[in-house]
Amino acid sequence: MTDFFRRYSRDKVGVFFGVLLLLLYGVALTAQWITPADPMAVNLREVFSPPSAKHWLGTDQFGRDILSRVILATQVTVKVTSAACLFAVLTGVPIGMFVGYRGGWIEQLTMRATDMLLIFPIIMLAIVIVVVSGPTETGVIVALGMAQAPQFVRITRGVTLSVKEELYVEAAIAAGSGWLHILARHIWPNISTPIIVQATLTLPVFVLNASALSYLGLGVQPPTPEWGQMLNEAKDHLINAPYLIVGPAAALVVFVLSANLVGDAVKETLNPKLKKRK
Amino acid sequence: MTRLIVGRLLFMVPAAFLLVSFLFALFHLIPGDPAVMLAGDNAPRSVVESIRQAYGFDQPLHVQYGRYIAKVAQGDLGISNYTRDPVVNSVIPRIINTAQLAFLSMLFAMVVSLLLGCVSAMYWNRPLDKFVTVVSLLGICTPVFVTGLLGIYFFSIYLGWLPISGMSSWRHFVLPVITLGSFQAAVLTRMVRSCMVDALGKDYITTARAKGAPEFLVVFKHALRNALLPIVTLFGLGLGHTLGGSVVTETIFNWPGLGRLMVNSILTRDLPITQGAIFFFAMIFILVNLLVDLVYAWVDPRIRYD
Repeated sequence: MTDFFRRYSRDKVGVFFGVLLLLLYGVALTAQWITPADPMAVNLREVFSPPSAKHWLGTDQFGRDILSRVILATQVTVKVTSAACLFAVLTGVPIGMFVGYRGGWIEQLTMRATDMLLIFPIIMLAIVIVVVSGPTETGVIVALGMAQAPQFVRITRGVTLSVKEELYVEAAIAAGSGWLHILARHIWPNISTPIIVQATLTLPVFVLNASALSYLGLGVQPPTPEWGQMLNEAKDHLINAPYLIVGPAAALVVFVLSANLVGDAVKETLNPKLKKRK
Repeated sequence: MTRLIVGRLLFMVPAAFLLVSFLFALFHLIPGDPAVMLAGDNAPRSVVESIRQAYGFDQPLHVQYGRYIAKVAQGDLGISNYTRDPVVNSVIPRIINTAQLAFLSMLFAMVVSLLLGCVSAMYWNRPLDKFVTVVSLLGICTPVFVTGLLGIYFFSIYLGWLPISGMSSWRHFVLPVITLGSFQAAVLTRMVRSCMVDALGKDYITTARAKGAPEFLVVFKHALRNALLPIVTLFGLGLGHTLGGSVVTETIFNWPGLGRLMVNSILTRDLPITQGAIFFFAMIFILVNLLVDLVYAWVDPRIRYD
């Protein structure tokens, strides 16, 4: 692990955006205490005030401070996407491990089904699921998680297939262990690293899709701020208050950019061969 | 080849059946009583009951399921809760609009990514390549609704050159096509570049250079032809993603396409329209996937999927 950090620290871009990403997570965790104003407080005397010393990013149609809303939206995004990622892992990984280890018709059937689901873009699957799960925080988490789960099923099955041929698995079978024991004690510890790495790598995808859902009005509902939904509201006031799009757009792009670059840096640190192609 | 096509077309039958079953389930999975949903929240009980009988919601589930399948098989997807028009009539024209948008965006993305990707690979590791790499990375990280809003602000409001919404002239196409296309172009440029860097490192490129072929020909003839196979695969995947991205793009520019129809129907709880839009979207994705498979088999005769 220390070796990993030592090699990672040589990648200057990776370090810079890693720090930036940590900062954004810091903002998300402490959002309640660091907002300069109440993000929900309506103030009709200060509707559409342009950026100023008091309101760095201006105020919206209800006179709410945009900077404070962007900060709170960071927390909402981090919460929703982390939970969705966890949901996808918790549903996709056990299924992938089980069918990969068991094989047979159940594996065939599951893989056919995932192949079929993988034809559809994630945002489409998420929209369809949100129709049922509802546009609430939990509903969005379930929709994004379920939409991404087939990818995890496929990845997990792939690594499980190679690990189950190992001698220690054979030894465990010979010793009379049950399949649940083998999956939990012998297979999972040996496939957990690539899967956790994969999960962190897909984080930007979760962020993009979560904000797209809320841009469409199918995500977290107002008055809770979310970047995509703030941009959707800003669109109606583009003529008289174009500054409204600056904050949420910048936060969204910087977050996705940092997450992507950190993911690339992690991948390259773990597999230095990739670097050559760059 | 014929066997491949027939096999894949036959695969669509169970796929469509599963899809229709899913849509039926969707209707009953949604929280709330479907009869109340159709009648409205404040409708009197007698109206709700008569709707329940008229739509057959009082029948056992398997009877309702059989009726639904039979109706869809006859091309009847129900009527809209609001306009009272048959769903099929409002969905079909939208498909053409979405197809236009997605096709032009994909064309834009393919041309841009092939050019930028090749140029980038030609100037590998030099300032021009670095510049293209940074721009495409930024493109990947900028969602279509951010690009779209910036485009609307600069070109429609600030400069006043292009219309904001609608699709009545070629000028209406510019912003939506570039918005949707540039995201895809950014994704594809990175991949085309890496395919081309691979291809340019091969021995036959050294041979071509050694015999004195001009650099332009080396890149666009020798290398590109050999890198084309993975690139075609990527373009196939890109087409699906472009269709997915069209949902958001249509909402930004008020494009009268299938995606906006679907989103609006969800927001207004017009379930028959939602079902119809999902049905056609899914069939389009399955068809596109089939087409892409066929193109692979045509480009690379080694693949003939048995």
